[in-house]
Amino acid sequence: MTVRPARPRRALAALLIAAVVPLAACAGKPPTAAGSGSASGSAPAGSAVALKRIEVTVAHGTASGDTGRVKVATGTPVALVVTSDTADEVHVHGYDIESELTAGTPKTLHFTADVPGVFEVELHNAGVVLLRLQVG
Amino acid sequence: MSVLAHGIGTRTDLPIPIGLALFGAGAAILITFSVLLLFWTTPRLGGAASGVALPAGVQRLADAPALRRVLQLLALTAAVFVVVVAFAGPEDTPHNLAPWVFYVTFWVGLVPASLLLGPVWRIVNPLRLVHRGLRLAVPRAPGAGRLPALGSWPGAVALFVFLWLELVYPGRSEPVTVGVFLLGYAIVQLALALWFGEDWFAHGDGFEVYSSLIARLSPWGRRDDGRLAVRSPLAGAISTPKVAGLAAVVVVLLGSTAFDGLSRTVFWQSGPGGGNGVLAGTLGMLAMIALVAALYLTGTWLSGRLAGQPTRVQPERYAATVIPIALGYTVAHYFSLFMLDGQTTWILASNPFGSSGVDLFGTYRNVLDLTAVSAGAIALVQVCAIIVGHVLGVTLAHERALLSARRARASDQLPLVIVMVLFTFGGLGLLFGF
Repeated sequence: MTVRPARPRRALAALLIAAVVPLAACAGKPPTAAGSGSASGSAPAGSAVALKRIEVTVAHGTASGDTGRVKVATGTPVALVVTSDTADEVHVHGYDIESELTAGTPKTLHFTADVPGVFEVELHNAGVVLLRLQVG
Repeated sequence: MSVLAHGIGTRTDLPIPIGLALFGAGAAILITFSVLLLFWTTPRLGGAASGVALPAGVQRLADAPALRRVLQLLALTAAVFVVVVAFAGPEDTPHNLAPWVFYVTFWVGLVPASLLLGPVWRIVNPLRLVHRGLRLAVPRAPGAGRLPALGSWPGAVALFVFLWLELVYPGRSEPVTVGVFLLGYAIVQLALALWFGEDWFAHGDGFEVYSSLIARLSPWGRRDDGRLAVRSPLAGAISTPKVAGLAAVVVVLLGSTAFDGLSRTVFWQSGPGGGNGVLAGTLGMLAMIALVAALYLTGTWLSGRLAGQPTRVQPERYAATVIPIALGYTVAHYFSLFMLDGQTTWILASNPFGSSGVDLFGTYRNVLDLTAVSAGAIALVQVCAIIVGHVLGVTLAHERALLSARRARASDQLPLVIVMVLFTFGGLGLLFGF
């Protein structure tokens, strides 16, 4: 069968366009922090950013308070207050903050949420996920 | 210890920004219609005969049985070491090498390795070496004749079992779980290989099936004249042999990755999957696989009807065209795990048994850097992977249709292409985290 020379060239051009357009568009777009225009990574040292207070209480293996997905902007100073009715250990994944809890006494963890991502906060012994901290 | 999605890890990705999600969706539609309307009207990707042969010396080396035995021995040594560490190393996951090597370095690393080098696990599979040893005692393989009929179905089952462990089983990240799974997997696979012969591994070892499937998109391939060749990855994919169960493998991969995405959404975490329950997880994973299967079968069936093709062969015929889409999903879901939590492997490898004062490679004091790749870069990689997978999938489906019927009308492909668009929208939607 005969193939006219114009056709493969057009097809090739179409292939190139289809292959290059998304790549170029992907490559050309500057990475933006997810969410709505939040500051990307650089936590201001003087800390004009308001402290984010997150409070969770655990009773009979069930968490209440600021549970579920808790969103904070990158660089926010966080005060996480956890009260458990049993002695346990609280763990903020990713930030790798671990702290012992005594039964009935609120424990406050201070840290700056400067690593973007979604991180679980859980009680080790009870195996309860208190909340998922969404930074960014 | 409860864990995040996909087996192990300290973090999951942020939802992709709405702008990127919309851009991706728009690009997917635009590209799809350009492919259907502008592209070639005769098959032109090349097939099993295409490619530039590598020098005979290179092929002799690559095919040398001695080289394979050496590589298999190295892999076997590493695997035995990982199992020993799983049982005898530190008990807590953050300090035990085994789960990180298995879920991140091996399972996720298999993707870039196969994409760049070809079907690597078929070459270095340590079970093949053990099987050769056992074969000396058991010379006959009574089931060898039945293997071709089984096709890739056993591989699909093996992959499902592994993916269930990785995505659903609550104790998945415990070192002991990894050790038990590796031993159990090896025993079952070896027993089946003794029954069916060494070819079993190509049909039923999930990791080998997975690696070989991804390698269809690598630049290396074996031409139909037996020569190793460099060729277009699309030619490699389109010449994937039609094997029973290939569609099942692709559907299991796509469906389970979709479940991985689902399990990261607020909807899942605050709803059905909130308790990290086995039942909810298993049902969720089965539901996603069933959904993907139903969409795929409907798309191929309708396309076959429109084109007047026998509808029964359609699912296997088009299975290879979904490989890039499954690969795009995989990259989107595992890229950050590999780049970020994957560092843990190299930190822990320096002191696998957690003994004080041991630091073999001087990396044990290194700290996991979760900001090594920015959230923006991760989102871009995710969206690009899904779109590029979509483009290649639609392109392959177009070529496949032309190969089946020279005068295929573009409109006949519409049902399957719409299913592919749905997969892409679904993938982007899960990343966006509806």
